Amino acid sequence: MRVVYALVLIAALAGVIADHLLSPASARAVSPGDFPGACAPCGAPCPSAQKK
Amino acid sequence: MTTTTLDTTATRLPRLDWPFLIAAILGTGLLVALVALDGHPASAALVILGFALGVAFLKAEFSFTAAWRRFLVNGEAGGLLAALLLIAVAALVIVPVAALVPRFGGAIAPIGPSLVIGAFVFGIGMQLANGCGSGTLYTAGGGSGRMLIALALFIVGSFIGSLHLPAFLALGGVDPILASTYFGPWGGLAVTLASIATVALVIALVARARRADLMPRPLIVIGAIAIGALSIGVFLAGRHPWSVTFGFTVWGAKLAALAGVDFSGAEFWQWPGPKRALAQSILSDTSSLTDLGMILGAMAAAAASKPFARTYWPPARSLFAAALGGLLMGWGARIGFGCNIGAFVGGVASGSLHGWVWFAAALAGCAIGIRLRPLFGLSRE
Repeated sequence: MRVVYALVLIAALAGVIADHLLSPASARAVSPGDFPGACAPCGAPCPSAQKK
Repeated sequence: MTTTTLDTTATRLPRLDWPFLIAAILGTGLLVALVALDGHPASAALVILGFALGVAFLKAEFSFTAAWRRFLVNGEAGGLLAALLLIAVAALVIVPVAALVPRFGGAIAPIGPSLVIGAFVFGIGMQLANGCGSGTLYTAGGGSGRMLIALALFIVGSFIGSLHLPAFLALGGVDPILASTYFGPWGGLAVTLASIATVALVIALVARARRADLMPRPLIVIGAIAIGALSIGVFLAGRHPWSVTFGFTVWGAKLAALAGVDFSGAEFWQWPGPKRALAQSILSDTSSLTDLGMILGAMAAAAASKPFARTYWPPARSLFAAALGGLLMGWGARIGFGCNIGAFVGGVASGSLHGWVWFAAALAGCAIGIRLRPLFGLSRE
């Protein structure tokens, strides 16, 4: 199990670093819920907005 | 002879598991350095707070899943009351700050079929996997191979759920109901604390009627206060309550895109928040920062106290339950707007009614999940 853990840890950290270096980064970390019109932590719109 | 050999081997094993302890600390340092170099101190704080949460959860053995199961099966209320204490601590800051300070916000969500169905399915999954959102993170980080599988399928289920969520939202619902909207910042806090006290009283009465233990263990109380304080820190650094599962959704989507899956037409990924999260570094997403910190914190805490991940893999049926549970939790969390942390803790601590609706539906799902556990060789208790 230790070998599996070591491999997963290395792969995950390599993936995070690669993703970070290859992707743009915003001014500060945000949540989808921070965006205008978001009605849930995942950024889903409000039911009242969907009806319009 | 065999016993002697085993004992000798055990005494030779290091109490500190240096390779994994160093790896966890270096990994955390690397993440902190990456975001700090970009000039984002708040992001660095979120990684460190996540690390501290991982340590706190592991050391206190804080478990929503076991607490809910003990309440439903035996009527034991201690763990559930400790969770409510955690929420009350967090609410003291979240409700007024979210209402009074610009650019801060609470965890809100619409109330409707999507919330109820998602939370119910999540509840089934958490009993099969034997861990919720935070539980999966800290036990997987803490060296449980079984929960590593649950985490992998949690990520898969969360991505699948993102493709289904718009259809469930179309079933209808009402806009979020926030206590501070109706009663103001301080009135909203009073109503929120009163609602927590009322639910705690009901739980205590049920425990007393069933002649079960009522008081949480001291370690759990300390853990609840520490985790509540840390969740306030996450709120202040991220400007919204601590959440876990959106990070999994983004990780799943990025891996799916890497594997060539075309979901460019999916409505969920056209919404501004998810669209931006998919395009940008995962270290720009608040939940990913705390999730990664939490895994590494639990790994450090586990490796600092005993040999890390030196157990055997559990039976296949148990692994299958973990995989199925992870898949159900991932899907349910996306359909139901979060897990125990984002929906229940974050929702109730924000004074949002959806947190209580999520709790009731997830508890009902847990009752079903507990009945299913023996099918996978798992105890009902």
